[in-house]
Amino acid sequence: MGFPLLELFSAAAAEGWTNAARSLVGSGAATPVVNTLWTGAVVTAVAVAGGTAAAMTTERSAAPGRRWLRLGLLLPLIIPSFVAALSWAQAYGPAGLLDDVLGLAVPGVFGPFGVVAVLVIEALPLAYLAVASGLASRAEPDLERAARASGATAGQVFVTVTLPLLRPALAGAAALVFVTTVNAFGAPAILGLPARFPTVTTRIYSDLAFAASPAAFSRAVTLSAALVVLTLAVVGPADAAGLGRGAVRTAVPAGGGFTGTGARWPGVVGWAYVAAATALPLLALVLMALTRAVGVAPTPANWTLAHFTEALDGRTVAALGRSLGLAAVAATAVVALGGLLTALRHRRVGRALSTAAILSFAVPGTALAVAMLLAYGPWLRDTVALIAVAYVAKFWALGHRTVAAAADGLPADLPRAARMSGADSLTAVRTVVVPLLRPALGAAWLAVFLFGLHELTMSSLLYGPGSRTLAVVILNLAQLGDPTVTSALAVMLTALLVALATPLLVVLTGKR
Amino acid sequence: MTGSGDGHGVAAALECRGLEVAYGRDPVLAALDLRVERHEVLALLGPSGSGKSTLLYTVAGFIHPRSGEIAIDGRVVASAHTRIPPELRNVGLVFQNYALWPHLAAVETVAYPLRRRGVGVAEANRRAIELLERMSIGHLSERRPAEMSGGEQQRVGVARALAADASLYLFDEPTAHLDTALRAQLQHELAERRRMLGAAAVYATHDAGEALAVADRVALLRDGRVVQTGPPVQVYEQPVDVWAARLTGPASVLEGEVHHADGACVVVTLSGRTVRVAGGRTADAGARPDLLVRPDWTALGGDLNGIVSQLWYRGPHTDYRLDTPAGDVDVRATGPPAATVGQRVGWGLRRVWAVRRPPTEPAPA
Repeated sequence: MGFPLLELFSAAAAEGWTNAARSLVGSGAATPVVNTLWTGAVVTAVAVAGGTAAAMTTERSAAPGRRWLRLGLLLPLIIPSFVAALSWAQAYGPAGLLDDVLGLAVPGVFGPFGVVAVLVIEALPLAYLAVASGLASRAEPDLERAARASGATAGQVFVTVTLPLLRPALAGAAALVFVTTVNAFGAPAILGLPARFPTVTTRIYSDLAFAASPAAFSRAVTLSAALVVLTLAVVGPADAAGLGRGAVRTAVPAGGGFTGTGARWPGVVGWAYVAAATALPLLALVLMALTRAVGVAPTPANWTLAHFTEALDGRTVAALGRSLGLAAVAATAVVALGGLLTALRHRRVGRALSTAAILSFAVPGTALAVAMLLAYGPWLRDTVALIAVAYVAKFWALGHRTVAAAADGLPADLPRAARMSGADSLTAVRTVVVPLLRPALGAAWLAVFLFGLHELTMSSLLYGPGSRTLAVVILNLAQLGDPTVTSALAVMLTALLVALATPLLVVLTGKR
Repeated sequence: MTGSGDGHGVAAALECRGLEVAYGRDPVLAALDLRVERHEVLALLGPSGSGKSTLLYTVAGFIHPRSGEIAIDGRVVASAHTRIPPELRNVGLVFQNYALWPHLAAVETVAYPLRRRGVGVAEANRRAIELLERMSIGHLSERRPAEMSGGEQQRVGVARALAADASLYLFDEPTAHLDTALRAQLQHELAERRRMLGAAAVYATHDAGEALAVADRVALLRDGRVVQTGPPVQVYEQPVDVWAARLTGPASVLEGEVHHADGACVVVTLSGRTVRVAGGRTADAGARPDLLVRPDWTALGGDLNGIVSQLWYRGPHTDYRLDTPAGDVDVRATGPPAATVGQRVGWGLRRVWAVRRPPTEPAPA
């Protein structure tokens, strides 16, 4: 992990910083940097505001079917970014579902508007989760009730109590959303590249995938290093300011029955958002996959399964197998590493390693892939092993955070009680700690597995002729412009992900 | 005690009529009637899960009753047609878990209700510090909740409620998370404050001693229903049943017969011996009731017989459990133990209260 990044920066430094700066400003690299920064800022503002509104709706209002609304809001987490982008193109783009039915195509779906919209949809669940957990852990209902009992109206309570308490959560959400957006690849690749709207990640991709010149490669290296610096500059302060500080718990949440407001309209707005942002595009994607040919009305009479059988040729099945294998290997390795780090977390080496894990999660996938190419390219170029190493390095933190958080939540007296009952330290871990951590270990494994199946950013840069993952196959098909088969594959991948992730989400949202 | 408001000249500080509250399908409060007079402190005594917090939150306006009506100072605040929001009910609430805002210092917390009533910053802070000084924590005015002990936090919580200058105060087990010494001190201070304010209060607690000490009247809450209300001495000496007796303090249940009871005296037969003692019986007690005996209604030395089965020395007094033909009886006597376990002793009865024996429960052995 450290070695590839070192290679990346030494390669960037070898270019010379003046050269690097010149290549950032000149030779067409300025546009992607500017595009990345302004889309990042806009997406962060919209997604954090939207995520806060969504969290207030599901956690504090009497909106009907709140549990289902939570699931609907989290659904984009499961759907890979490039699938969301494809489905938006099918729903709102030219010759999309809306165009077919109402003669209405949203202008700019291919271009800045579409990229920003899909990035917001991808980022909103992250902001929503951060704010909702902030509401649960810091803004206990009793604190708001105390303000109401002190004479504050619902609006005053939100401004004087809820928002100040949420400040760390909002800062954390904004940092997370900005970093995720700046590093995003799927949506800008599908919706931005055809419209000549490049971002840093897609420029690196085109430089590496299409232009074989040394100049293009060195520009990719410089851009990658710049992306790492930008990401760490945002994550570092946010981590120190808000994310690392434990919440002050003054109260245990009281029993249910509390509803902040009787209004039902926030729930309606929430459902309308889920329908327009996720449900309708997915429907359009399914219809495109089912319909005989592009331009034919998507009615049952014109439905066929031919695209699915066509999609499942030998190369796709091989790529699917490769994706599943990679995801499983990465998940198993990450959970093992997470357990190891958790066991070491009170020692200095363990603390240092856990910081490294979190930093490596923050390093953009694009930059990490370029660093992997620089470091291990000579031996592992075009192999599945290179992708596997990149996955483990990237998703390390997912396993570590989940397992460590669960371990921290475990009362220290439980293993002590086992020791007092005659168990040695290993037996105490085996009989008390591991059984209690089993749900967390399972959740971490599943999360990494899902992320592995999702992954496009790194594999699109690292794949070779014999190591294409399913996501790469779909991306290449989309670039060749075969919407029906692309849709069929995307539908199958999404169905697989939803089937695997639903138990995880139900557990996640069912707690409250 | 739960008559309608019409019969009284002045409106009650709080009146609940036929209150029903449910979480989903589970009823939490059922047909609850409750009246708190002006200047009166009502203790709401019940085990956890009996609906105390729910009742307070419903009165405060955080839960809307499924049916029934709540009036505060004669004004209906919740009914089928009315739903006054909490901030307009003129109610002060002290939370079990303090509910202090982690981002505000003590003085800002106490000034908060004043600010919401339009008082300027300087004036609100001045009055907040005054209130904190009255709660003897003026020196902590700049501290945040994380920098204060539980007792200090709860004093800030009380000061905040006092700042609201309400006509009705609700206390939701304010001392539940404090240790014994602090609890006694805070109880004492609350009693002092109340005498100064003269406002009405509902004080929820599961601690019988606390309820009897702070209240003008005690209401016993069981599964969301008021089982009994009355002055502290009445609920202690004349509980409506065994459950109410056990809730309000230690009680032994003996087997015996009631022959005669007038206003203040009762004639009972205990293991073949007939005695005439103070006390009485509930209207539905019947001829073979449960005989309730408080430890302080008994004495060591007397013409009844028992064997000491257990004893607990508690400093000022000693508790003895006697195995008698009529059942186990707890006896309390001042001073150190005057007998040993296994010893046969004589004991006497000063008072007894007879309640109906529950039909399903077998007689105590």
